[in-house]
Amino acid sequence: MAKPVVIVVGADKGGVGKTTVARTLLDYFSANNVPTRAFDTESPRGTLKRFHPDATEIVDMTTTSDQMKIFDTLNAVSPSVTVIDVRAGLLSPALASLRDIGFLDAAKGGQITFAVFHILGPSIASLDEIAETANFMGGAKYFLVKNFINDTQFFQWDQATYKSYFHRIKDATDLTIPKLNEMAYEQVEVASVPFLKFVANKGTQDEAANYSFVLRGYVRHWLANVWSEFDRIKLTDLVGAGKSTTRGGEK
Amino acid sequence: MTATPVFIICSPRPQVGKTLVARLLSEFLLLKNGRVTSFDINLKEPSLLDYLPKTTETADVIDTMGKMQLMDRIIVNDSVAKVIDLGFHAFDEFFKMTDEIGFMKEAARRGVAPIILFVADTDRTSARGYEMLQRQVPAKALVAVDNEFVVRGELPPAMAGGRVVAISALPVFLKTYIDRLSFSFTGYLRGEKDTSTELHQWIRRNYFSFRELELNLILQRS
Repeated sequence: MAKPVVIVVGADKGGVGKTTVARTLLDYFSANNVPTRAFDTESPRGTLKRFHPDATEIVDMTTTSDQMKIFDTLNAVSPSVTVIDVRAGLLSPALASLRDIGFLDAAKGGQITFAVFHILGPSIASLDEIAETANFMGGAKYFLVKNFINDTQFFQWDQATYKSYFHRIKDATDLTIPKLNEMAYEQVEVASVPFLKFVANKGTQDEAANYSFVLRGYVRHWLANVWSEFDRIKLTDLVGAGKSTTRGGEK
Repeated sequence: MTATPVFIICSPRPQVGKTLVARLLSEFLLLKNGRVTSFDINLKEPSLLDYLPKTTETADVIDTMGKMQLMDRIIVNDSVAKVIDLGFHAFDEFFKMTDEIGFMKEAARRGVAPIILFVADTDRTSARGYEMLQRQVPAKALVAVDNEFVVRGELPPAMAGGRVVAISALPVFLKTYIDRLSFSFTGYLRGEKDTSTELHQWIRRNYFSFRELELNLILQRS
């Protein structure tokens, strides 16, 4: 049986694009035929659930019962990949909980593949989270995601600041999410469908939709760029699946 | 169903004759098909809208809304030929956008046939613009327009190697005459009984070139 894979997407800061990245991950796995389930911790009403209702369950990660729902079922359910969209401010407490229940030790021992996508905002406060989160990262694949959704430059103009944060943690991998055209982003929001369905001009029930060709083009181009980043970090290898030769979004 | 042609007349340079080509082509298509829709993205130069207000709409590619309004119209296979007079200031933005949204591929899927008419010049900006188009546009859909009034000599080799439509230079007094807003090429052909006049022959020669261009398009797809 394949080793369970848990991917946590989070940040302690709000509005940095956690759910957007989680959505691109679900689309990526879907296109690569990797069965995936997702948990949305924005209880009681989750954003991720709105876009991926079939694959997503809303949980409250601060409660033991919901922690059990996620982690006690890792070996029992058929999708071997679990994506957890951790709501703002909950990343550090969530990682602490995982440490307390022995999950991080299991990851360190190789029983579970554990990856964290830490979404960074443009502020120093957001960068300060890196050091805090890094304390939990033994045994985990740690990805620092620079989300350019707000056109931020992540202090790349100031090499001293940049290096002091981004090179602080050994084995962390930088990941870049490019900016998506604002109107295209809004249109997908309104449509409440996964990016892949939007590109394919489909509605929530797979019915034919009538989205703008221009906006679909922007989303397709952007999604291809995001996925090329996932390809670069060999995400399918990480979750134990080979990359599909013909992916849905690239047709 | 035959593909709907979309002619995009462009150059990264001002004053090379884009609007003249757009006027000629629009009037030719109107004469031949009875219908044409032209788009004027040329707000900083002499405007197609001023010449052909009944068949021309304005459009812009400055913001996403403008791009949507234009592109969602021209990606439809509705058998109405489209002509886009793309101003030099919009050249980079327009083709950056078409590249990003995969316009050429989607057009092929939907039975729309874009033809890029690149109005040539001998400067470096034009050379770079043409190179960029060669990377983005299939060779059969890229046509260099050799406007003799502008180029005044040989076309740059890179442009001469592909498909070319030549537009011969008119004497200045005739150029002034056709530049009048009230002038119509088809109107002139219909009204002027003497078919031997230089202008008559010039218009017929250009219409014939466009006809050949269309014929090639049909042959390519058959």
